[in-house]
Amino acid sequence: MGPLPRTVELFYDVLSPYSWLGFEILCRYKNIWNVHLQLRPSLIAGIMKSSGNKPPALVPSKGKYLTNDIKLLGQHVQVPIRIPKDFFSVILEKGSLSAMRFLTAVNMEHPEMLEKVSRELWMRVWSRDEDITEPGSILAAAEKAGMSTEGARALLEKISTPQVKNQLKETTEAACKYGAFGLPVTVAHLDGQTQMLFGSDRMELLAYLLGEKEASALKPSTALPGAVESASDMREFLHPGEKWMGPVPSAVSARL
Amino acid sequence: MGPLPRTVELFYDVLSPYSWLGFEILCRYKNIWNVHLQLRPSLIAGIMKSSGNKPPALVPSKGKYLTNDIKLLGQHVQVPIRIPKDFFSVILEKGSLSAMRFLTAVNMEHPEMLEKVSRELWMRVWSRAAEKAGMSTEGARALLEKISTPQVKNQLKETTEAACKYGAFGLPVTVAHLDGQTQMLFGSDRMELLAYLLGEKWMGPVPSAVSARL
Repeated sequence: MGPLPRTVELFYDVLSPYSWLGFEILCRYKNIWNVHLQLRPSLIAGIMKSSGNKPPALVPSKGKYLTNDIKLLGQHVQVPIRIPKDFFSVILEKGSLSAMRFLTAVNMEHPEMLEKVSRELWMRVWSRDEDITEPGSILAAAEKAGMSTEGARALLEKISTPQVKNQLKETTEAACKYGAFGLPVTVAHLDGQTQMLFGSDRMELLAYLLGEKEASALKPSTALPGAVESASDMREFLHPGEKWMGPVPSAVSARL
Repeated sequence: MGPLPRTVELFYDVLSPYSWLGFEILCRYKNIWNVHLQLRPSLIAGIMKSSGNKPPALVPSKGKYLTNDIKLLGQHVQVPIRIPKDFFSVILEKGSLSAMRFLTAVNMEHPEMLEKVSRELWMRVWSRAAEKAGMSTEGARALLEKISTPQVKNQLKETTEAACKYGAFGLPVTVAHLDGQTQMLFGSDRMELLAYLLGEKWMGPVPSAVSARL
């Protein structure tokens, strides 16, 4: 029997398009790397409030950049992301409270459905520009994911219970305790330490970190011309880590 | 003869550690991909002012995150970055105006030296392994005298404005001139996406030395 899988937590909110990108990449790699992926439905509004951060799109040139960045990444990562027509209304006014409470309830009662239902909610808001705030919208996503109407309705009734509200609050606080100021946040539980990574663009770094064993004595890096590193800081990992095969790893690897 | 190399501009400031990471990755790939890399010394303070953005470290949890992120990326990208003890003093107070005017002058008169001198400046600010900057040569002194001339000041201003026109709100900014369109990418973490847009192969941040010699 080989080494134990390492736990990788993914804190996400379906309101966050970059969360969708990170989610799809990790869902692909969970069957390739030796990891145990734990999905953590969270509320990005809560994280912003807690950290004092603000949605990036509030800086006009950032907002403009993001719309193009998301489009390009969607192509590269092969996720059918489209910017909703009324972007600001979706993010700042409508939000995702009910949807994330629903996913919290799914995670509590039918965790095996969490990945699919999450994906269907993203498809609604971030691919087809459809609502995710009305009960009917959430039910439609759950049914598309394969839940029965009765099962989905039963869960929907639970979203205003203290248990579900508190669970979402706790998960969001856990992300904040890890240092989150936005989403997605990936937390890798490595031998002896925990690493928090922000963004959908830290997956190649995650692959590198998953190879970490105890740092041995170092050897100077030859990659940087003329560089002289101090021995105590440049770590040489004993193992090369998991393999990064880009955001769309081959289906063949997945079946191994 | 093969296809013409595509122009890739890199707008950077030595005050920006992420600029250093992006710079090193592109300097490695410039001999592997079919690109013409044009280094564009810019002033991050000017870009912040122009865009209304603020340095990320002003949000406490972002600042905390950045110091670890830079350390990890330094290991992954094999660049000896260390956060200076007086991090905020370096970024917010000391700034980089003279250094970037100096690099602007280097680019105007000795562009072949721009890569090395940029690297030396990063090493001074962002690495405990700082070597002597090599700026004590006569040539360097002559350049230093030019940094307060209108020509050099204006050139830095123009380069910074060019970055802003491309939509920059921070650095590093990479601008890829593709067939029929221009794409602006922000951050040292968009190099794999750049490869995809160029139709080139991404081999991680430290591509094999073998490929470089082909």
